[in-house]
Amino acid sequence: MTRVQQKRQYAFVIRQLTAREVKRKYARSYLGVIWSVLNPLLSMAVLSLIFSQLFKRSIENYPIYYLTGYILWQAFTGATTSAMTALADNKALLLRVKFPMGIFILSRAYTALINLAYSLIAYAVMLMVFRIPIKWSVLAAPLIILCLFLFSLGLSYILATAYVFFADIKHLYTVALTLWMYCSAIFYPAEQLNGPIRLVIQINPIYLYISCLRSVVLNGTLFTGTELLRMLLWGILACAAGCFIFNRNKNRIMQRI
Amino acid sequence: MEWQKQTTQLSEPEIEVCDVTMEFRRAKDEAGSVKEFVLRALRRQNRFETFKALDRISFSVEKGEVVGLIGTNGSGKSTLLKIISGALIPTAGQVRVNREKVQLLTLGTGFDPELTGRENVYLNGALTGYTKRFLDRKYKDIVRFAELEGFMEEKVRNYSSGMVSRLGFAIATARNTPEILILDEVLSVGDMFFRKKSEARIQEMIHGGSTVLIVSHATSVIRKNCTKAVWIEKGKLRAVGTAGKVCDVYEKMREGTR
Repeated sequence: MTRVQQKRQYAFVIRQLTAREVKRKYARSYLGVIWSVLNPLLSMAVLSLIFSQLFKRSIENYPIYYLTGYILWQAFTGATTSAMTALADNKALLLRVKFPMGIFILSRAYTALINLAYSLIAYAVMLMVFRIPIKWSVLAAPLIILCLFLFSLGLSYILATAYVFFADIKHLYTVALTLWMYCSAIFYPAEQLNGPIRLVIQINPIYLYISCLRSVVLNGTLFTGTELLRMLLWGILACAAGCFIFNRNKNRIMQRI
Repeated sequence: MEWQKQTTQLSEPEIEVCDVTMEFRRAKDEAGSVKEFVLRALRRQNRFETFKALDRISFSVEKGEVVGLIGTNGSGKSTLLKIISGALIPTAGQVRVNREKVQLLTLGTGFDPELTGRENVYLNGALTGYTKRFLDRKYKDIVRFAELEGFMEEKVRNYSSGMVSRLGFAIATARNTPEILILDEVLSVGDMFFRKKSEARIQEMIHGGSTVLIVSHATSVIRKNCTKAVWIEKGKLRAVGTAGKVCDVYEKMREGTR
């Protein structure tokens, strides 16, 4: 096989694996993939019902404020939690496959990205419903999503490797995610918190991605140079660390599985 | 005798297993959780023991041969297969084989029960290394060979185990180019008619220049299909020779233990 053919085959495999994940996710439901659009909307309705009164003064468009954070958060957790078990779930295939086995992790993360694309449909509709004026700065949104994807992918590699050796990591990660979610200022304004927790939120890369997307969409202002640098660094560093850890443990993973 | 030696030297063996040793490091009563692991690390109780799954195995398979790999459960057959297919790297020794050509077919074919037969053909085919165009062209042949016309839009979870293994076999043998086909316990399932058909297909592939390695613990399968056999027991090479002879010794051993 030439290199070009190999690349094409690689893409074909990823498409097939992703198609499977999407089909699987809604295998026994009637509405199927429409749930990817409905879910964020329903969640938005619930949270707005409760919190929009509470944060009336500090947040202008509470539903959109929340929805922006929620879809990014869902993409991140969707990618990492599903990719974590990717190797264990595909045990039978791992032995026969002639591709680097990281492809299973990559395709799960990619599936989350596809799901995010569906959620963005809901998001776009809501932007119109709430009459949010769209500025040119929106064009920078794909860059934010790309950085988030890289970050999620890197973490996915680490989690998937860890999961092969310690299945407990699944439960630990669930707890960690709860904490992480509360530190990402998804449904409350970050400005109202002070002290060390504020610092944690400021460092938190997920909050960085969320707040950048909010400013780009809601305020119509572009993120600063340092913000861009931080977004890229988090993404690239996570990816590099993930690949490094995963590649070093490859043979041990095969022995364990 | 003299000329026989020469011919074997002339043709490069398709699979050459040289002094392969595989050791697994197992924790003594393994720590199954992080908590346990940390506790033991603190108490320095994480002792490991090495377990030799394969102990200096050497044999070679010539082009066009059908070789049977025989041994009781847990003898190290599957580990050896994983090493030959490149999934595992041995602790010592090496395997010389063109990994691009290796096709491994096992009973757990890796089909997704929630997908339809058609979707599984494409997913599995893609992972096997078939291109989209190849699959589009061969799809009908695969379905016909597996005798699953009319079932392809149905979910695989509704298939019988025979149907699943038929489809797996059909996908793995769809290509006509010479290959190295490794069959792990596949020939002992399915009904008699399909078994005959798949055996015929294997013969066809051998005539086309393919090499086949059949793994089984049933001597009947080995006797019927193989020219040569390799017997592995508890990780050690016990016998290499003609299929009939090796099977005889193997059966004698089994009767002795019974």
